[in-house]
Amino acid sequence: MSTRARNPQPPRWLDKLVERFCAPHLLEQVMGDLHERYYRRAEREGDAKARRMYWREVLAYMRPTIFKRRSYQYTKPIFTDMFRNYFRIASRNVYRSKVYSLINVLGLALGIASAILIFTLVKYHLSFDTFHSKASRIYRVTTESHREEISYSGGVPQPLGKAFRNDYTFAERVARVFRSPDRLVSLPYSKDNLKFQEREGLAYAEPEFFDILDFPLIQGDKNTVLTEPNTAVLTERIAKKYFGSKDPVGQIIRIDNKWDFRITGVLLDLPVNTDRRQEIYLSYSNLKDESAWFASDDSWRSINGDMHCFILLKPNALPSGVDKALPELSKKYYNEHDAKIYRFKLQHLSDIHFNPDLGGYVAKKNLWSLSLIGLFLIITACVNFINLATAQALGRSKEIGVRKVLGSGRKQLFWQFMAETALITMLALVSAFALAQVAVPYVNQLFGIQLRINIFQDVYLLTFLPILLLVVILLSGSYPGLILAGFQPVLALKGKLSQKHVGGFSLRRALVVTQFAISQLLIIGTIVIANQMRYSSQADMGFRKDAIVMFPVPKKEKSTISTLNSEISRIAGVEKVTFCSHAPVSPDFVNVIVRFDSRTEYEDFDVSVKVGNDQYVSTFDLQVIAGRNLHPSDSVREFLLNETAVKKLGVRSTNDVIGKRMWIGLNDWEGVIVGVVKDFHNKSFHQTIDPLCITTSNDWYFNCAVKINPANLSPTVEAIEMIWKRTFPDHVYEYDFLDEQIARFYELDNMILRLIQAFAGISIIICCLGLYGLVSFMAVHKTKEVGVRKVLGASLQSILWLFGKEFTRLLILAFVIAAPLAWWVMSNWLENFTYRIEIRTGIFVLAISATFVLAMITVGYQSLKAALANPVDSLRNE
Amino acid sequence: MRRSDLGEFEELVLLAVAVFTPEAYSVVIAEELEQQTGKVVTTGAVHAALQRLENKGLVSSQMGEATPERGGRRKRIFKVTVAGSRILHEVRNVRNNLWSRIAPRTLPKIKTT
Repeated sequence: MSTRARNPQPPRWLDKLVERFCAPHLLEQVMGDLHERYYRRAEREGDAKARRMYWREVLAYMRPTIFKRRSYQYTKPIFTDMFRNYFRIASRNVYRSKVYSLINVLGLALGIASAILIFTLVKYHLSFDTFHSKASRIYRVTTESHREEISYSGGVPQPLGKAFRNDYTFAERVARVFRSPDRLVSLPYSKDNLKFQEREGLAYAEPEFFDILDFPLIQGDKNTVLTEPNTAVLTERIAKKYFGSKDPVGQIIRIDNKWDFRITGVLLDLPVNTDRRQEIYLSYSNLKDESAWFASDDSWRSINGDMHCFILLKPNALPSGVDKALPELSKKYYNEHDAKIYRFKLQHLSDIHFNPDLGGYVAKKNLWSLSLIGLFLIITACVNFINLATAQALGRSKEIGVRKVLGSGRKQLFWQFMAETALITMLALVSAFALAQVAVPYVNQLFGIQLRINIFQDVYLLTFLPILLLVVILLSGSYPGLILAGFQPVLALKGKLSQKHVGGFSLRRALVVTQFAISQLLIIGTIVIANQMRYSSQADMGFRKDAIVMFPVPKKEKSTISTLNSEISRIAGVEKVTFCSHAPVSPDFVNVIVRFDSRTEYEDFDVSVKVGNDQYVSTFDLQVIAGRNLHPSDSVREFLLNETAVKKLGVRSTNDVIGKRMWIGLNDWEGVIVGVVKDFHNKSFHQTIDPLCITTSNDWYFNCAVKINPANLSPTVEAIEMIWKRTFPDHVYEYDFLDEQIARFYELDNMILRLIQAFAGISIIICCLGLYGLVSFMAVHKTKEVGVRKVLGASLQSILWLFGKEFTRLLILAFVIAAPLAWWVMSNWLENFTYRIEIRTGIFVLAISATFVLAMITVGYQSLKAALANPVDSLRNE
Repeated sequence: MRRSDLGEFEELVLLAVAVFTPEAYSVVIAEELEQQTGKVVTTGAVHAALQRLENKGLVSSQMGEATPERGGRRKRIFKVTVAGSRILHEVRNVRNNLWSRIAPRTLPKIKTT
């Protein structure tokens, strides 16, 4: 021993390393060999050499056969072994009962896929305009007009921005921006004089706009951009579209064939999640080209929904302070009467997307309802799982009994069941993900958006999915797990467990009722929305809307219009032609103040103005109920009123207004009322009919409406196109059918309809899957009962009824719950429409019979099979 | 078990086991082979070869006694099995056979020291 103590040891840490990597059962000999070799070397060739060689020796043991632990010598906590075991047993069970597993996976997958889609969609909307770095301090000024009714607008009077900037110190930056949709942009110096109709149009913006909102320039100087008149910036995408690979800076674009703008900068392409979709920005000073009056400091009484004012508050300024100061602004720039009418409010940037009153895209309320539907679908899927699992539990009683006798604890049995649930849920999640990927393009098409599901780049989705997974596993696994774990081993082994031991048969009933209630809620919702949509598109709007083509008239000279008129009238299929500002119903409208007869005060309501020539009434088939139609003359001002306007004016009979004079706040027009037309819908069914007047004026004929003989539609449309192109060679031809235009009013409603249709469908499928599982299970368990009954002379019907009555009862119970709820929800939804259907009993009858039929089809096959089975087969082994 | 499964190094180790029986274990084998071949032979390499031979059933092993220079650790003693013996003989026969058939003066002359 003493010699060894004197001799140096092999390096300790290398030994430690060997102890770490070497399998325990080999360690003794390996270590022994290493040390013996070391001492032999040390004796023969000296310590230094031995040490050096020790390295190589250790290195030579670095091989898998040395690392590999013997299987029973795993040095890991016990539960991982059990874990593996749980999953092995689980996968065997899943594999053995293929039908149940399939039903479960399918149901859960549908539910989860919907949840993923809804989550992505909701997240997409919540992300709107959140990317601006100063978002928390950005506000928009909005207008409330307090008249007979309060109307809201996201727009402001044009001079307001300037006044706010000069009069107050709250803001770090103030920017006015006027957007103008659907404009013609041409490239005068391009080879073939390219022209583009830009749907999203353009915006006149003050340079400060780009200081407030984060739309970064990739070319051009941020400090000078848009400061000069007749300059423009556009996005990279538009620049590519216009100029290809050429450098866009310095190029010229022409707006409406009239005004030239020089490009001084290029913006980074717009992100998808912004509501400001304009890709062309022009110098704000050029707004006067569009309308000198509008761009002047006097246009305080014009509230245009496209005229926005953005404010970046100073870091220490409070929005409440601004809200307090804004009434002073009204007082300063309006007379006393009007100051009470026009009230300005701040709206935070984050509210813009979600405030439909102020032109927002979707109310948050709708997003939450959507999320709720998603939750409902998940719940129905989980309910399926619970039902099937508890029903199946009985069949597994022997297994549980044996396990308990061999010493399984409740906890272990519970976790084993949870593992099974986890396995199925995981399978479902994978299929759900695939399903969602398949569905995304359809969802995008439906909403006209660009969603993408990319799990690895999306932190939110990446956290959402595991949470969803966990919730689903716990929700659906824990109850059946507890039931299974709670079996009495003696009863289980004797096979004496019955339905009542499985416990909560009433709970299962309650769950089925919940499921059906949810489905029926969705079905009733679908029917109501579909009915309202049909009503909106088919109800008489008070004017003719089918077979009418609308197209723009870019030049309004009298001669152009009259030649166009006569040429189009000559086409064979054309029945009527009129030139007008808008169709009887239109998304944009002109509302102006009005003074009637000899009254000195303005009326306290606005009238909506439609400008159209003498053919307007006959083309759209409006009914003149008093007086006469307008004369074609342009020199004498004449008005037609609608019934609502007459009523609002407080005149007793329609005939009393005829011959009276009227003044409207549009171009200072004053004239005689010559007739009254029957009320027609000038807005969508969401809104009431406005007081309205019709008058003639060449300057306002932006559109031409042509009534076509539907028999030869397309040749006529082509002929019109040819004439139009010849008349306006510098413009892009576009046309629209009036009924399609009207259908677009209900775009959002149609989206909701299609969504709820899809979800109702999914929910029904999930329900039926569950029902199918349940009834096939019941059939197996009732084989003997059915056998005995048949032997004793039961008829086929009575046996079918045995199965049917249970589900019928549940269905009716579910309906009793769902119907009032659906009535309440859908009444609320219908409130959005001024002109709406009533929720009649027929809708409810339809809903319950649809569910009933579906349920019976699902239940039918299995019960019929059970009822037709030969009783000898089921009773023989007794 | 085909003969081709016996690699060159394995053959040497197997022969060495035969040489040192009944006291054949990895360290002495490694030392001997190192001396014979003049190259470094680690116990690790020998250990691996012995493991392979044992898997092929050509050697058998049991734990031996502890010795002080091993820090009181036991060693694993190997001996050649019947199968091992058979394969060694076969290999030798093949070699001898081939050697005997080489015509005189065919191989280039080398100086033997």
